[in-house]
Amino acid sequence: MSLVNLKIDNIDVQAKAGTTILQAARQVGIVIPTLCAWTEINHTPGACRVCMVEVDGQRSLIAACVFPVGEGMVVRTNSARVRTARKMVVELLLSNHPLECNYCNRNGNCELQKVAEIVGLRDVRFEQPVFDKEEWIDHSSLSIVRDMRKCINCHRCITVCESIQTVSVLTPAFRGKDIRVSPAFDLPLVESNCVACGQCILACPVGALHEKEDIDEVWAVLQDRTKHVVVQEAPAIRAALGEEFGMPPGSLVTGKMIAALRRLGFDKVFDTNFTADLTIIEEGNELLKRVKEGGTLPMITSCSPGWIKFCEHFYPDLLDHLSTCKSPQQMFGALAKTYYAEFAGIEPKDIVVVSIMPCTAKKFEAARPEMTSSGYRDVDYVLTTRELARMIKEAGIDFNTLPDEGYDAPMGEYTGAGTIFGATGGVMEAAIRTVYAVVTGEDLPDLNIAPVRGLDGVKEATLAVGALGDVKVAVAHGLGNARRLLDKIRKGTADYAFIEVMCCPGGCISGGGGPIPTDNAIRQLRAAALYQDDALVQTYRQSHESPSIKKIYETFLKEPLGQKSHELLHTHYLRRGDELPQSTYEEVWENPERHA
Amino acid sequence: MFRAHLLLCGGTDCTASGSPEVKKALVAELLKRGLSEEIKLVETGCNGFCAMGPIMVVYPEGVVYMSVTPEDIPELVEEHLVKGRVLDRLLYREPAVDAVIPTMQDIPFFALQELRVLRNRGLIDPEVLEEYIARDGYAGMAKALTSMTPEQIVEEILDSGLRGRGGAGFPTGLKWRFAASASGDVKYVLCNADEGDPGAFMDRSVLEADPHAVLEGMVIAAKAIGAHNGYIYCRAEYPLAIHRLNVAISQAKEAGLLGDDILGTGFNFDLQIYQGAGAFVCGEETALMTSIEGKRGMPRPRPPFPAVSGLWQKPSVLNNVETLANIGQIIARGAAWYSSIGTEKSKGTKVFALTGDVNNVGLVEVPMGTKLGTIVFDIGGGIPKGKKFKAAQLGGPSGGCIPVEHLNAPVDYEKVAELGAIMGSGGLIVMNEDNCAVDMARFFMDFCQDESCGKCTPCREGTKRMLEILTNITQGKGKEGDIEMLEQMAAVIEDSALCGLGQTAPNPVLSTLRYFRQEYEEHIREHKCRAAVCTALFKSPCQHTCPIEMDIPSYIALVRAERLEDAYKILLKTNPFPSVCGRVCDHKCQTKCRRGQMDEPIAIKFLKRFITDNASRPKITAVPVTRKETIAVVGAGPAGLTAARDLAQRGYKVTVFEELPQPGGMLRWAIPSYRLPRHILDGEIDDVRALGVEILCNTRVGRDIPFEKIEKDFDYIYLAPGAHKSQPMGIQGEDLQGVYGGVEFLRDFNNNETAWTSGEKTLGAKVAVIGGGNSAIDAARCAARMGAEVTILYRRLRQDMPAAVEEIEAAEHEGIHIEYLVAPTKIEGKNGKVKAICLEKMRLGDFDRSGRKRPEPIEGSEYILGVDSVIAAIGQMPDLSFVPQDSGISVNKWDCFDLAEDSKSQTSRAQFYAGGDAVTGPDTVIAAIAAGHQAADDIDAAIRLKNGEEPWEEPAEEHIDVPFVVDEESMEAPQVSMPELDAVTRIQSFAEVELGFSRADAIKEATRCLRCDAEI
Repeated sequence: MSLVNLKIDNIDVQAKAGTTILQAARQVGIVIPTLCAWTEINHTPGACRVCMVEVDGQRSLIAACVFPVGEGMVVRTNSARVRTARKMVVELLLSNHPLECNYCNRNGNCELQKVAEIVGLRDVRFEQPVFDKEEWIDHSSLSIVRDMRKCINCHRCITVCESIQTVSVLTPAFRGKDIRVSPAFDLPLVESNCVACGQCILACPVGALHEKEDIDEVWAVLQDRTKHVVVQEAPAIRAALGEEFGMPPGSLVTGKMIAALRRLGFDKVFDTNFTADLTIIEEGNELLKRVKEGGTLPMITSCSPGWIKFCEHFYPDLLDHLSTCKSPQQMFGALAKTYYAEFAGIEPKDIVVVSIMPCTAKKFEAARPEMTSSGYRDVDYVLTTRELARMIKEAGIDFNTLPDEGYDAPMGEYTGAGTIFGATGGVMEAAIRTVYAVVTGEDLPDLNIAPVRGLDGVKEATLAVGALGDVKVAVAHGLGNARRLLDKIRKGTADYAFIEVMCCPGGCISGGGGPIPTDNAIRQLRAAALYQDDALVQTYRQSHESPSIKKIYETFLKEPLGQKSHELLHTHYLRRGDELPQSTYEEVWENPERHA
Repeated sequence: MFRAHLLLCGGTDCTASGSPEVKKALVAELLKRGLSEEIKLVETGCNGFCAMGPIMVVYPEGVVYMSVTPEDIPELVEEHLVKGRVLDRLLYREPAVDAVIPTMQDIPFFALQELRVLRNRGLIDPEVLEEYIARDGYAGMAKALTSMTPEQIVEEILDSGLRGRGGAGFPTGLKWRFAASASGDVKYVLCNADEGDPGAFMDRSVLEADPHAVLEGMVIAAKAIGAHNGYIYCRAEYPLAIHRLNVAISQAKEAGLLGDDILGTGFNFDLQIYQGAGAFVCGEETALMTSIEGKRGMPRPRPPFPAVSGLWQKPSVLNNVETLANIGQIIARGAAWYSSIGTEKSKGTKVFALTGDVNNVGLVEVPMGTKLGTIVFDIGGGIPKGKKFKAAQLGGPSGGCIPVEHLNAPVDYEKVAELGAIMGSGGLIVMNEDNCAVDMARFFMDFCQDESCGKCTPCREGTKRMLEILTNITQGKGKEGDIEMLEQMAAVIEDSALCGLGQTAPNPVLSTLRYFRQEYEEHIREHKCRAAVCTALFKSPCQHTCPIEMDIPSYIALVRAERLEDAYKILLKTNPFPSVCGRVCDHKCQTKCRRGQMDEPIAIKFLKRFITDNASRPKITAVPVTRKETIAVVGAGPAGLTAARDLAQRGYKVTVFEELPQPGGMLRWAIPSYRLPRHILDGEIDDVRALGVEILCNTRVGRDIPFEKIEKDFDYIYLAPGAHKSQPMGIQGEDLQGVYGGVEFLRDFNNNETAWTSGEKTLGAKVAVIGGGNSAIDAARCAARMGAEVTILYRRLRQDMPAAVEEIEAAEHEGIHIEYLVAPTKIEGKNGKVKAICLEKMRLGDFDRSGRKRPEPIEGSEYILGVDSVIAAIGQMPDLSFVPQDSGISVNKWDCFDLAEDSKSQTSRAQFYAGGDAVTGPDTVIAAIAAGHQAADDIDAAIRLKNGEEPWEEPAEEHIDVPFVVDEESMEAPQVSMPELDAVTRIQSFAEVELGFSRADAIKEATRCLRCDAEI
């Protein structure tokens, strides 16, 4: 790659040919504010016009995020002309943005706020529009709220939905001042193919997209003395929650998290990792059964509800490939209201199950009508990592100085295999450890299975598993990557036995409910924390070694894939792609009010 | 062989105005008369003269028939085709001279054009390939494919100097060279037919009239850059263009002119039409390509440029329809031929869609560098209804306006940009004086706001906010700082928007600010819209336009209700001289009367006179002097007397000093009594006296009373001496006996009427009057009444005369001869007396700043007119010699008073105020009255401010209830005409010519009022 020499603000810079002025400026520590560019997903529409810079010889200002560096180029990023333009552009953005910063979901963590600070804006000289909230806010989804009043049209959500997740639910609608991002025909989100992954929320620089909050409801049950409230936390929470309190990414805060949850008033603090281990036993046995009995292969994991909904919408023909195992969250809910109810002698109707998830799709999953095998709604409330952090702050808990505390029995114990569920490849790694042990009767020589770790989009591995011979597996994270494997299955060229799919890029550690920002560097740090938990913290590293798992089979479930398991831990799926109304243009035009 | 060809225009406009029905009727008529074998009917594409459609040209004579209807057909066939007589009533009438012109080659609209792009318009049937080929069609393509290398083609186009006709004017050859040198085996040639500017329709007409020319251009471009596929991106709103293109494409494919192995050369090029949904932004090249790709048509940042990475990331060339239509001819005839016309940097011709307030709406093609004025006035036939040209908007919403002072500007890329507009695709919207600059900017900003795709912030939010400010200004909600805010936003939006739409969206605002900033300021500060367009600013256009805002709708309503006493009271509220104004006002109110858009404006002036003639004059009682300050007024004309009246009404002691023996100023000394009888004037002056105002006549300040004395004796002095001195002609012989200045003659005449009428004083038998203003006409009509043979000599044309049209007509009726385009060079005398006047004929040259063509002498055209007197009424100026040079009162180079900055009446010395003609130069009565009001307000305000008093408040007046009666439907009806003495009778005496409305006339006229003041 050849290098070009240029001057930015009188500093000599050498940059690779083809890099943008923005990147070159960053190299030498010059901050050019920007709102729409997100180079990690190749999103540089050049739309917000905040990153304008002056380049000698150019008639007008140019957008640094898209303009390539050139030999001998002279760039000014802080001339009066540049500062005036930037300030005006941000002022214009704010002139059409509800100034609800004090009570916005993104208060303090908003890129527009930050950019307004950088450009030194002190006044918005235009009259604020009055927005009709009914018209502009879409509450229809169980997971995601679209507050289009706040949208600044950076279109990052569109790109992440379209090119990373290949769901393509969001698109710009209308023109000019009326432009807004919305599902096709401006339908409510719930009527679209949205899989509720929430990656759009992570992409959103402002508060236009956020999770549907269940905080008030959870506060209410915590206050209710007739309710016994138990809580479970997904593996990824402990590796990310610290960031909400100013800790560096990758801080493992399991003990403080448990302590915080107790102080919030949860009666029992359990762990989703317990049911993650259980999932390995059930799913591992399901895989073995399919292999031995000639069931549908490759089998694909089913822990990730966004992924499940994606498959239901776009690949209804491949639903048989999905493991019938419920996700660990749902297994937990079903057992909390059966196994734990018996154990503690509490009426299941009085038990409230709250989940802390890095995921917005989990809110949708918990509300699926199938998820009532305990006789009640198995999981009552799902909070995202961010929501939990807000509750901790609201309760006045100084998270950083909390003592480490431990889990309650009997659903708190977990192994290293359970914890790595939070990172892409983790389920696969955990499953291989156990399947290998079950088939061969001995442990893997090295429990760290490197080929399935890391952020490559599709990872493959082939392992010799005793009598089964070579087993080929694949791991995909992010739905665009999943699509590549699914298309292979459709074509009949997928010779895998087992596939792990996680909806979100990087797995649950960068779910749509996690801390913002999330990028690849942060993903790696969070994943490292989980591998650290697995390798260094936990006593056991294989699910089948967990005493609590052994105990639940002895006392309650009896055997993997048994009758009880079938009732409580397994599920079935919907062919949404077949059932969704296939509206024609004519139908849409005939019912304009429905689509208006 | 046919003995005649009938070329009927089948363009979209003529189709809309009924050419299909005409065609049917023609076919039937020819069949009926058995002429089908002798006469051939051809349906052509757009002929260009769209406003006059349906158009039919009859060859071989080239006679053009306009606005043909099916009902005309039997007569037309009978007259022209059977009897061989041209049917006059369907011929073109030249608006300026009102004469018919039968043939195309003689109609200026056609004659002054240079057709290259439009060379086949109206001549061939666009759906017949052979007709195109017969006109050398595809010759350029054949040459390019058989005997030229791609490099040679690019070179030829570069040499021709052809620049992109889509707007930016980028050299076409250069664009091709970039694409030709881009690597890649797949490339595209694209034609931009997404014409979306308001008022632009040249691309559509080319596609409809000559579709093969575009295809030919595309094939040549394809050969030049090495492309084998192309698209024509045409908006779906152009069904006829798309139909003809489809026909042309299939014909060309059939004939081996398109597709595989074109003309057997082995070169392949195929193309298809992509129909756009009509978003303006899709005319932007990257948005257009995105749209063809099937995505939402939004622009993307450049680089990469389309020549490197365009449609589907392949090297692409996008050219506009007009650009491509030039290509075939350039190749066939050579670059030198092409570049032989045009200007240094802009070669060839440009097609303009000429629309708006212009007589000849249509499509015109002229060489680059043609003067704007030539296009608007000579080809366009000027502005309808005698209105004034205000500006031409060039380049649509991305462009700017070019005002009257730049009518001489040669229209080419450089000049247009220098003037703050852009060439654009060639939309040329003519705007007359009835267009408001702010509203114009608001209209285009509204368009841009609607058409913004919404992708980038400056365009999406900026156009919205600019529109908001502009809308506020037009609604009277503008505030100080708005203009600066607009400028600031415009600069940032231009500098930072993503694509051309946003970058150019502020242009109309910037350009109107450049040329009409004052109008913005008037809107903001005075809530005044001089064009009477911004309805939120006023009750009715007439009242708003009146310099003293007379409550016109109310007094007209009261005439209709026959409550004349009340109507009179309303007149006097604002106007001390209603019976004068009812006779001699220039009635600006009527120029903006909405009724005028329907048929004719209301005769407001005549109704005013009717009130004062028929109601009893309200009794005036003296107002006691209640204020200590004393005020002197110099000059007892309308300005001075109005100020005196207002100040007296507020309790001031006012003394008026008048040099002449009687008060009235120009009303008495310039306007002849046949227009304004003296007793009428006296009555109104008496009313001013009755208030307590003292008028001292025969008292010239500086002669009869020292300047220093009034300076000492009075607290404030209002200087309104008028402009009573004629401008000299500056020619030899001006000092001869018998040469008069216009106002000097009139003053002398009015002062010594008996002497003149009795023959004691005489002008002689033959009189020449020089000039075209009201004074010239007045002098001429006075001379005629003394029995002289009068000739008015004017150096321009009738439509350029500043005098009122009614006055010119009246003079003509009275037998006065007017010679146009003539100017005096010398006056010859004998024995010190005038004997003859030497004249020189003039021709009209460039436009002057007033928008009129400047007269230039024709060499060798001198001639002599024998006359006994010469009256030079070419202009007036004030005589301010009474003001001492050391007075500190500043006088400017036009011999007028300078006013203090930020004041409308104060001079450079705080004690002195000034107004009327002595400030403005010769102006109207109503302007002088307005100036008087202004001065009175300002003097009173200054006094009160000095005394620490509250500002004056108008005392509560008697409430007059104004009925609101309006007819459900208004039938078209012309203005009721004013009864007058016939010409033969009236030149016998100085009796009033206009006799006044009868009661029935007045009520009928008042009933025509549309009551724009209604609040609904």
